[in-house]
Amino acid sequence: MRQKLKKKALEIRKHILNMCIKAETGHVTSSMSCVDILVALYQGCAMRHDPKNPDWSERDRFILSKGQASPALYTILADCGYFSMKDLDKFAQENGKFGVHLQNDVPGVEITCGSLGQGFGFAAGTALAAKKNRDLFLTFTLLGDGECYEGSIWETAMFASHNRLNNLVAIIDRNYLCVTDFTENIVSLEPMDERWRSFGWDVECIDGHSIDQILDVLERVRSRRSTQPLVIIADTVKGEGVESFCYQPVCHGIAPKGDDAKKALADLERRCSYE
Amino acid sequence: MNNITQRDSFWNKIYDLAKEDKDIIVLSADMGAPSLDKFRKDLPDQFVNVGIAEQNAILIASGLAKEGKRVFVYAIAPFITFRCLEQIRVNNSMMKISITVVGVGAGFGYEDSGPTHHMIEDIALMRSMPDLVVNSISDSVMAASVAETSCQMTKANYVRLDRLVLPVVYGQDEDFSKGVSILKEGDVYIATTGSMVHVALQAAEQMSKNGHSVGVVDVYTIPIYEQNFIEAIGESKKLITLEEHFVSGGFSSAVCEVLQDNGVMIPVKRIGIAMDKGYCYAYGGRDIIRKHYGIDENSVVEKITEFLK
Repeated sequence: MRQKLKKKALEIRKHILNMCIKAETGHVTSSMSCVDILVALYQGCAMRHDPKNPDWSERDRFILSKGQASPALYTILADCGYFSMKDLDKFAQENGKFGVHLQNDVPGVEITCGSLGQGFGFAAGTALAAKKNRDLFLTFTLLGDGECYEGSIWETAMFASHNRLNNLVAIIDRNYLCVTDFTENIVSLEPMDERWRSFGWDVECIDGHSIDQILDVLERVRSRRSTQPLVIIADTVKGEGVESFCYQPVCHGIAPKGDDAKKALADLERRCSYE
Repeated sequence: MNNITQRDSFWNKIYDLAKEDKDIIVLSADMGAPSLDKFRKDLPDQFVNVGIAEQNAILIASGLAKEGKRVFVYAIAPFITFRCLEQIRVNNSMMKISITVVGVGAGFGYEDSGPTHHMIEDIALMRSMPDLVVNSISDSVMAASVAETSCQMTKANYVRLDRLVLPVVYGQDEDFSKGVSILKEGDVYIATTGSMVHVALQAAEQMSKNGHSVGVVDVYTIPIYEQNFIEAIGESKKLITLEEHFVSGGFSSAVCEVLQDNGVMIPVKRIGIAMDKGYCYAYGGRDIIRKHYGIDENSVVEKITEFLK
């Protein structure tokens, strides 16, 4: 299955790139860095969900806190069957169902998100409700590393550990890049693992592009014995799969055009050929 | 119901309702009240202290509400509105998740705490967002009633409570569903809200001794129920608005919008906090601060007398 997921991740990346090139917008690089994580969650059996019944009360909740990665989530939801793949063709266009940031009226999407630092707290509220209602679902939330500059992230981090929300799993897409520069040049986020530990969280550090490592950690979350919430710090590359976009500040929030688009597509094709 | 604060009246009612409904949750940003001490002791599973972290409070509340809880989020008014405005905008206005934001200290309720604790812009702020109702409370009877109706609301609401003990002006059977109530009949009306209802009643009484027939309309639900408001002011040839709030964008602006949109072209005198007066560091009690801004009873009488000439 894991080999199939690796292929699936490449397929999803192609969809995302083509969708954003057509729409001439969308956060391509932010989406590329979290594709493997989302594939593992939705298509690697890590999360309980039912595309035919998006409001299934026992579903695990997935809260995309880095709402700019909506092209990745929309593509995976379509691929799972929450809605038609054809809907992706109208991404951020007239009569389209969704745009650059996340909106909660799309089947399978829990929240509207575009303002950073909010989904994480919402996820903690969801996890608290599950505790109070004695529901068994887990709440997963995906954060950007740059999002961790928001003060509300740390308000929630304190709250979640104090309230022993061991049904909450946060994944940080640690791609080291913000809009204008690398995080460690802007305001250092390291040592990220120690910071989260000091806030009372269990911490796992993995390669966020290794389906094996992602699934190895996700497969254990339902049976782990800790009373504390879990954060998975997933090292990633912003733009992963599109070589010409990687390690480039100021590639945030844009879709390639003209020759750049051709080059980006060629990058991905080349990646497919040797995977 | 004399000698009880609006917040105690509000939380006493929530306590009664929460005893019968475990889905009612109170989230406090480390804010207390005697009535909440009882709640916390008797219903610990339904009380969550999030600490002094208002942004997180709104987010946790919204997550809980999405999963079926009826959540009340409580703090001092400026902190549970301005500090977490974007959280309210996205989660409760944009996503339409219904929670009740409870702010205590409307106007100069925190009279000796200085301008950080004065709440004189919240109506402008909160009424600027769709799918969000402002309940501007004028007495403790209304506070209890709004506590009850908040539990059934499908939209989010912001309850602005006064901090001080104010006189009771409503009977227990008052119907607050109208959004406006005539507290005193008159030939011309003062439209007012919150604690200024009491100043308006005193000013109207003084005016009547001087031979003017001035009535008082309490407007406690914003967006204003337009037809009920137009009916309430009736044939009033002029209108006075009175608020313990900056005049820009606040209560008087809302009233003028209703008049304009309904073709009611009457002269309006807006009495409130002038923008050029800014914030103040006046101490010595609420009346001293009101005098500073010219919204105490005598200043109001002078301004209305001049306006009615």
